[in-house]
Amino acid sequence: MPQVTIDGRVLEFEGQPRLLQFCLDHGIELPHFCYHPAMSVPANCRQCLVDIGAPMRDRATGEVRTDGEGNPVIRYFPKLQTSCSHVIADGQVIHTARTSEKVERAQQDTMEFLLINHPLDCPICDQAGHCPLQIQAYKYGPEGSRFEFRKVHKPKRVRLGPRVVLDAERCINCTRCVRFTDEISRSHQLTIIERGVKNYPITPPGVEFDEPYSMNVIDVCPVGALTSVDFRFQARIWEMTRTPSIATTHAKGSNCFLWVRDNLVLRITPRPNPEVNEYWLADEDRLCYRQFNEDRPAGPQVRNAAGTLEAVSWEQAISTAASVLEKAGAGAAFVGSARATVEDNWLLIQLAEQTGGQVVGFMEHIEAGHGDGWLRTDERAPNSEGCRRLGMTPVDGTMLRARLEDGTITALYVLEDDVIGLLSAADLQEVSVIVHHYHTTNRTLEVAAAALPAAMSAETIGTYVNLDGYAQRVRPAKVIQGASRTLMMQMGLSRADRHGTPFDRWYNETHYINCKPSWELLPAVAEALGAKVPAGGPRRIMEQISQRCDAFRGVSYKAMGLEGMPLPASIQLEAA
Amino acid sequence: MTKAGDWPSYQRVLLPPVRDLHRLDVYRAEGGYEALGHVLTGTSPAEVIDKLKRSGLRGRGGAGFPTGLKWSFMPPPKPGVPRYLCCNADESEPGTFKDRQLMEYNPHLIFEGILIACYAMQLTAGYLYVRGEFADWIELMEHELARAYEANLVGDNILGTGFSADIFMHKGAGAYICGEETSLMESLEGKRAYPRIKPPFPAQQGIWGYPTTINNVETLACAPLIMTRGAEWFAQTGARTHPGPVLYGISGHINRPGVYEYPTGMLITDLLEIAGGMRGGKRLKALVPGGASVPVLRADMIEGVTMDADSLREAGSMMGTAGMLFLDEDTDMVAFLRRVARFYHHESCGQCTPCREGTGWMENLITRIDDGQGNLRDLDLLLDLCDQMEGRTVCALADAAAWPVRNTIRRFREDFEKRCKPAVWAA
Repeated sequence: MPQVTIDGRVLEFEGQPRLLQFCLDHGIELPHFCYHPAMSVPANCRQCLVDIGAPMRDRATGEVRTDGEGNPVIRYFPKLQTSCSHVIADGQVIHTARTSEKVERAQQDTMEFLLINHPLDCPICDQAGHCPLQIQAYKYGPEGSRFEFRKVHKPKRVRLGPRVVLDAERCINCTRCVRFTDEISRSHQLTIIERGVKNYPITPPGVEFDEPYSMNVIDVCPVGALTSVDFRFQARIWEMTRTPSIATTHAKGSNCFLWVRDNLVLRITPRPNPEVNEYWLADEDRLCYRQFNEDRPAGPQVRNAAGTLEAVSWEQAISTAASVLEKAGAGAAFVGSARATVEDNWLLIQLAEQTGGQVVGFMEHIEAGHGDGWLRTDERAPNSEGCRRLGMTPVDGTMLRARLEDGTITALYVLEDDVIGLLSAADLQEVSVIVHHYHTTNRTLEVAAAALPAAMSAETIGTYVNLDGYAQRVRPAKVIQGASRTLMMQMGLSRADRHGTPFDRWYNETHYINCKPSWELLPAVAEALGAKVPAGGPRRIMEQISQRCDAFRGVSYKAMGLEGMPLPASIQLEAA
Repeated sequence: MTKAGDWPSYQRVLLPPVRDLHRLDVYRAEGGYEALGHVLTGTSPAEVIDKLKRSGLRGRGGAGFPTGLKWSFMPPPKPGVPRYLCCNADESEPGTFKDRQLMEYNPHLIFEGILIACYAMQLTAGYLYVRGEFADWIELMEHELARAYEANLVGDNILGTGFSADIFMHKGAGAYICGEETSLMESLEGKRAYPRIKPPFPAQQGIWGYPTTINNVETLACAPLIMTRGAEWFAQTGARTHPGPVLYGISGHINRPGVYEYPTGMLITDLLEIAGGMRGGKRLKALVPGGASVPVLRADMIEGVTMDADSLREAGSMMGTAGMLFLDEDTDMVAFLRRVARFYHHESCGQCTPCREGTGWMENLITRIDDGQGNLRDLDLLLDLCDQMEGRTVCALADAAAWPVRNTIRRFREDFEKRCKPAVWAA
């Protein structure tokens, strides 16, 4: 196998890898700005320069020339080469800044150039703390600057579009944003204007940067030149904890990070996953974070004799729900949801079996024409494929209404969804409705006999299956009141904010939502009925699902890990 | 006897003294397009390239690469793979104005050269990328090109020989960087003129990603001459290692600035004499022999130096585009360098960090020195910046910006030191 020597380390390679990516893959850090693995290589930042030598070959025979001791004679390129654009070849010898003073000097020089016209306003810059320029300037930069002139001034606070703001002075002209719109999203809404040191990226005249993926340029920007209109000046990076999760506004299941400070989700950024979303995330998937913080219920409620919802204890609410189901018996209908996890939907099916009731299907959320064949889909909920694979079908509203009218359904159990819209409040006048709800804006509350607040994807543990049959997990990013040990075990251990301490100015107890995950509520309701539904946390529930449900054979939390796993192909299932 | 041979009796061939030569009828009456006819009827493409190789023609755009060799790099024709010729007429180096003369006085020679090159490499399209500021000559050439099309000298089935080639003219929009071959191609494709990384070289991936050969105007204009007068004539004109007629663009503090056609290998002192000597009888102080980016020579360095690649390299400079700038004894070298640095600052495309930031910084420093506010350490910083820029960018503009700074400071350091504030020594 061909070999290269990097800083004296001999490494084997296959194919024709580019040097920078090869080094990053092997844990050898090289500073860089313009290079992005998903985009073309312009080699314009000149930060990743390295010294490259190749074995000298005899012109006539093509054999490698050797010195007296049998070592190949290495001839170095006269100039330093950019590692991002260099395709490595057998026998090459590469020196990075660790073993070559020339390279170290060159990288310092480039960094000095990059910083002379950069405003160095890190204390007020959103990017500070995870800024490639800041980090690499400390690591590879010179100690000071010899620049004693006025910096170049360029436009600041330019609204490129509804979601992205430009500070052109911070820009280092890596062109990643322009290449993103040209090569990835293909909207061609950004371009570089001016020339030389006045260069900066902006929209062409009359064009607004409003494509549905515009906020990805904020992530690819290696400095704070492009920032989010929404998140600008909201929080410092080091005050927040990021938790790997799944975006829930589309059925694609794009991987994301939830950034939490004091139990509030403050922003959502993409998490690379080559199988699902590569490096990208749709704007809607990012800006939906307020749903985790706002309009959340204050606790369980039941409808009293006066006909109004009244706050009660969890025990009371659960026993009310149980008595409704007991009274209805076979007349209880259960509605699953594409917003709930696979585990919760499966528990709902188990509860229905135990009480003799019937699962009438799951709620879909189709918005026709919304999808674009990439990360946005017509389906606006994360788990319809998971529901289908559990054997559920979308709820048929007409049939459900007919059965409500003829009185065969006397109770409706709604899992984490809103049936108003599919049905009207009038349809449900005669029916006892139990609802697991996320928000106080859930219109089913108007007709609910018992309302049980449920944990959302940012607070629970569970599995979603995206429309390609890819199973992925969510993890709790924020704490809920009375959180269970199971949830706490899954919280990120490095929560620097410790969910806010009493000494933090932002500490606020009201951000702890009084809700429970459905995988606690459903077994509790079953227990109150004297029935037995599997409990013991979502990990064990998934073990049972994988044993009892062919579609989920082999699925486990360990196998899913951070990157998810494909479910067994559905064709085989139908045959089975 | 100099390398240029018997130059006083030299007959001009690139710009012959013929009135209205730009007109097709006059050009044809003078034997124009005969070379093309002979080539198309009686010579194979390989023979044309061989003839060019034997002539020893080297590119006139600045780098001096052997043209025949460049043409032979072109991959052979393959069905479905278009290949292109591009003529670089984006002449914008300060001190260089020779191509403009060719375009004004002898445009058909350029067209003929393009067509011969197209035939030699079996191409069907040649682009002529002209600097946008040459608006008058673009109009002239467009008019003359239309005449050539009418006479069936360009286009389908040229002169009934079955060979077809088109010439497309493209106007630049006023950026120096478009003269760099890869950014010229980007510009031609309608993109922002950022130079491309090499490799791949234009002969592998050029215009629209297809094999492309790119030549300077004067280089292509030499091709018809080689075809009619023979490779031997060309090889024996001027310096042996860098032969041929060449257009010297002479400017600066001299009595008769202008474009002079002579063989290569002329003594600089002879050229100075031809151009009427220094203005006002002053003494020569410095000479930039090949356009603003080549290293400047002090007056005491030009004794016996001839205008060809070897001799100039020995003297510590380069042939470049043969745009010679003579500066007299009153010249303020700091102001000269300030002007040069300002140009490169203004024209840096801004793609690569060292050039984008370095050219501006250099101009700042030189301006400060010129204004009498500079320190002695600024000179060392300037030389440092040259090291930091040179050879670390995609194209050669950073090199072109660094060379004059480095060499002017090195060769005229006293001038600079005098302008700096006196050193403050520790007590």
